[in-house]
Amino acid sequence: MKILVPLKRVPDPELKTKIKDGAIDLSGASWVVNPFDEYAVETALRLLENGDAGTREGGEVVVVTIGPSEAAQQVRSALAMGADRAIRVDAEDKAIDALTVVAVLQAIVAEEKPDLILMGKQAVDGDANQVGQMLAGKLGLPQATFAASIELAEDKASVLVGREVDAGVEYKRIPLPGLVTVDLRIVSPTAVKNHVTPDAFAYGDGPRYASLKGIMAAKKKPLADKTLADYGVTASPVIAEKGVELPPARPPGQKVDDIPTLVQKLVEEAKAL
Amino acid sequence: MTAALPSGFLDELRRLGDDRISVDPADLATYGRDWTKVYAPAPAAVAWPRSTDEVAAILRACDAAGVRVVPSGGRTGLAGGAVARDGELVLSLERMRRIDPVDVVGATVRVQAGAITAEVHERCAAHGLTWPVDFASKGSSQIGGNIATNAGGVKVIRYGLTRQWVLGLQVVLIDGTVLELGGALEKNNTGVDLRQLFIGSEGTLGVITEATLKLAPRPRRLDVMVFAVDGLAGVLRLFRDVRHSELTLAAFEFFTQRSLDRLLRHRALRSPFDQPSDAYVLVEVEDAEREDVEAWVASVFERDLAIDGVLAQSATQAAELWQLREGISESLSATGMPHKNDIALPVAALEAFCAELDAVFAARYPGWEICLFGHIGDGNLHVNWMKPDDMSKDEFLARVHDADRDMFELVKTHRGSVSAEHGIGLLKREWLGYSRSPDEIAMMRAIKAALDPRGLLNPGKVLG
Repeated sequence: MKILVPLKRVPDPELKTKIKDGAIDLSGASWVVNPFDEYAVETALRLLENGDAGTREGGEVVVVTIGPSEAAQQVRSALAMGADRAIRVDAEDKAIDALTVVAVLQAIVAEEKPDLILMGKQAVDGDANQVGQMLAGKLGLPQATFAASIELAEDKASVLVGREVDAGVEYKRIPLPGLVTVDLRIVSPTAVKNHVTPDAFAYGDGPRYASLKGIMAAKKKPLADKTLADYGVTASPVIAEKGVELPPARPPGQKVDDIPTLVQKLVEEAKAL
Repeated sequence: MTAALPSGFLDELRRLGDDRISVDPADLATYGRDWTKVYAPAPAAVAWPRSTDEVAAILRACDAAGVRVVPSGGRTGLAGGAVARDGELVLSLERMRRIDPVDVVGATVRVQAGAITAEVHERCAAHGLTWPVDFASKGSSQIGGNIATNAGGVKVIRYGLTRQWVLGLQVVLIDGTVLELGGALEKNNTGVDLRQLFIGSEGTLGVITEATLKLAPRPRRLDVMVFAVDGLAGVLRLFRDVRHSELTLAAFEFFTQRSLDRLLRHRALRSPFDQPSDAYVLVEVEDAEREDVEAWVASVFERDLAIDGVLAQSATQAAELWQLREGISESLSATGMPHKNDIALPVAALEAFCAELDAVFAARYPGWEICLFGHIGDGNLHVNWMKPDDMSKDEFLARVHDADRDMFELVKTHRGSVSAEHGIGLLKREWLGYSRSPDEIAMMRAIKAALDPRGLLNPGKVLG
């Protein structure tokens, strides 16, 4: 079974965003794998292993990213977690939009013919939430989005995906090949089932760390450097960023002496009553 | 037993402002204790001055009326240094929290004593600078308390103690005299450095009201790793190795499987490793190229210096790994009743000391769970004994006293310290003589008598 995981690098969401001249200042940014994509890597690994025995049971996880040469670092992180090989398609972050990404991924899927495409529901930088749905649409593949749980059927011909919706959990079975985008809870201890890991086995909460031995091993794993042209794609984004600004600073809090003043201020200043 | 304040004393203080004083029992209970929690708080009143002049006025009034004063910061101390349990006036600096603009050329910042440590860090970070005193309680602790206790923490191996990062101090003596000791000067060779006398004096000599802090450039990047190693010997082998590598070590922290077990039982955290190991090390390196870190890590495994290891891939993961170490203290208290000790030993003596301590415990206190963790790179061990479930609290407290004595005898033999960074306060007074000579203690008493002849400042602390 081959699983393709597209991943994107994003500025570390733990660090404060700086704005300079109407754009996000990324000069000193530290880059990480988009958390939802990291969950997709974790999900792919859990689908292919016996978690209890700690052994990989065949299959292949291929990660792909579209980004500048520095993005190789994030791809290496995924390889260090346990993915088998990687493809990096060279492009500047600014020169690509969701449609460009979809065109490249479409070509890669045609070449790799994965059984399952697993990816984050969205990237936490732009929060667009488009690539998964558009890619499945373009490829004519069945899709299940916002997966909170996934179970690979014993015959490996379908997956049962649990999605958290307002009224409860909705389960969708999609035949493979297909595309699944994952939500936060996919990395909870028992969210991934594959009929290999014992049902009672519980993983730690969250994606695994890159072990240092994994990091060493990742250096020897294949990483193919490609260009947009290799896939017949030219960067012609249809979405352009016009400007970025921080929300206005909140006015400081006020202390009032008594309740009538409070009510008066709520009515006149806050217009809350 | 609570001594009453002289009549009219509080009325005099209230002249500074009604909101400066409280005798509300809830305030007394809160402000009379620190994180030690073994002493019942019983101060008579709490005062919140808003300026150095008000501190001086309050101290003058105390001096005139013979009222004892407990200076108070964030009360995160672990030695009872901020405890008020006998009708004292608690002098809280928390409303004096001004932070002046950072001097980016001189790399200094002037702050009032009540400024929160983490807020100072945040303010300096905006200028690419930091005050490199860093520890788990930084979100509550205050600069005045950090200085008064000469706080240590997780970056001591790289930056040293608080003492090295204070250029100037403003101190108020019990008679209301305001001293300006040093300023923003790096160099000031003009006689006995009185400023250092107050740093680490635990509020027994004067009340620190303002300080000029020395700042360091903020590291551009930090890499955080956790290794599983084979016992304390493995910890020390790895320490020697990283010390001799090209990497700039920012922290080298160790913890045992028992400490980790308690943490994982209490918190929704996960171990980074599938297989448990008896000891773990957290290594943080400063401003290293990723390749250099990876090259060192590769050599660590080639030479079998570690069993397993992980490297944080993001700031989130780095923070998670730090929680494995910094969360331990809280988890020990949440999952049982720890008796805490904070000792220091020459790094070269650590292994022998720990072996001897194990032998003493096996012989005299069988079945006690010892949770060890600490900043081992500077010889500092936090030794925690957990109360066995089937032992009563009273019996445990009686027996830990014997166990303390047994351990401090070993500390003394190896020329260690009975309190590496927590201070003496109330809790360790009895053991001061195991680390300081009678001559030294006599000298400390003489200094105390010269500055506070009636013993009104933080009574009973350090010297008793």
